[in-house]
Amino acid sequence: MEAMYMKALENAGRIIMENGGEAYRVEETVSRMGEAFGMAHVESFAIPSGIFISCKDHAGQVETMVLRVHRGGGDLDKVDRVNAISRQVVDGSISPEEACRQLEELHSLREDSRAGNVMAAAVAAFGFAFMFRGNLTDAVISAITAASVQLLAFLPKRIRIAGLSGALAGGFITALVPNLLFTLWRIGTTEAIVSGALMPLVPGVAMTNAVRDTLRGDIVSGVSHAA
Amino acid sequence: MTDILLSLLFGMVATAGFAGLTHAPRRTWLPASVVGGIGYMLYEILQRGGVAEPASMFAGVLCACILSQILARKMRVIATIFITLSIIPCVPGLGLYRTMVFLGQRQAYEALICGVNTMIDIMMIALAAGVSEFAVRCFQRK
Repeated sequence: MEAMYMKALENAGRIIMENGGEAYRVEETVSRMGEAFGMAHVESFAIPSGIFISCKDHAGQVETMVLRVHRGGGDLDKVDRVNAISRQVVDGSISPEEACRQLEELHSLREDSRAGNVMAAAVAAFGFAFMFRGNLTDAVISAITAASVQLLAFLPKRIRIAGLSGALAGGFITALVPNLLFTLWRIGTTEAIVSGALMPLVPGVAMTNAVRDTLRGDIVSGVSHAA
Repeated sequence: MTDILLSLLFGMVATAGFAGLTHAPRRTWLPASVVGGIGYMLYEILQRGGVAEPASMFAGVLCACILSQILARKMRVIATIFITLSIIPCVPGLGLYRTMVFLGQRQAYEALICGVNTMIDIMMIALAAGVSEFAVRCFQRK
């Protein structure tokens, strides 16, 4: 069995799962690509924290991989690109070798999106503050607060807080800034500012995946995403 | 009327910000924002028309999700992108915030009422997302 193809399946599954794809999408993509690579039989099982891939070639040789997946930042563009590569290799518009090369490139691609996140969080919070019945002042403060939470990602690595602690710290800052402003200078409507600035921290992709995985009968992944 | 149009605009802005946060493909930003805005606008229209909160939420999210599924197929993009972005404006962030504030103020009864209402809204979002999948699949078969 070609090691290159196994690596490509690993990359495809890993990229989708790390970047916010659903478990069923990992399984479908790996199976379809494996068949397009000429493997006799491909089975895969994916949960948000890991992927198992087993491939059998025409000589009956079986190769199995277990991948531990650590959730990444959620880059839906990467998931979409893997999906496009998978479609192309299945319909024959690119060769399996080309698909492997593109997946390897995509896997090694590291983009610094922190500045973009600051901007995006500010824009989202600005819109949400208005939706929560805030005025222009509230929306501006909400945008600044949401942006300042994203600035935590710029802290030096040794003191950077990530994961659940990061979300807790983000929530704390989001509540602290507007409350301080209101207490000290009576500026803004705390409710609109805080709830607007909190919205960029909502795990929207995980929520959608929880529903979609559960609907497909993938209860383990659904519950895991929901948690 | 102005309020309704503003709700469309703010829904679009919020969705566009979220598109940036989730690193959605750039070609999806505008259509997803429009769909998100439409979903939220429908929710607002129904709310102002006296329809119950859960029903308004269900209708708004269902509309957004169906449009998302159609757009995803047309643009050959994974449906998750459009669905995630389009339901975001309807997520009851204010309800979640109020629940936590009531809890922090030890107003257990108010926190319970607010929390239950928020959970019903969240369930309506999940239900609408599920129903939209089946609706689009049924329509495709025909």
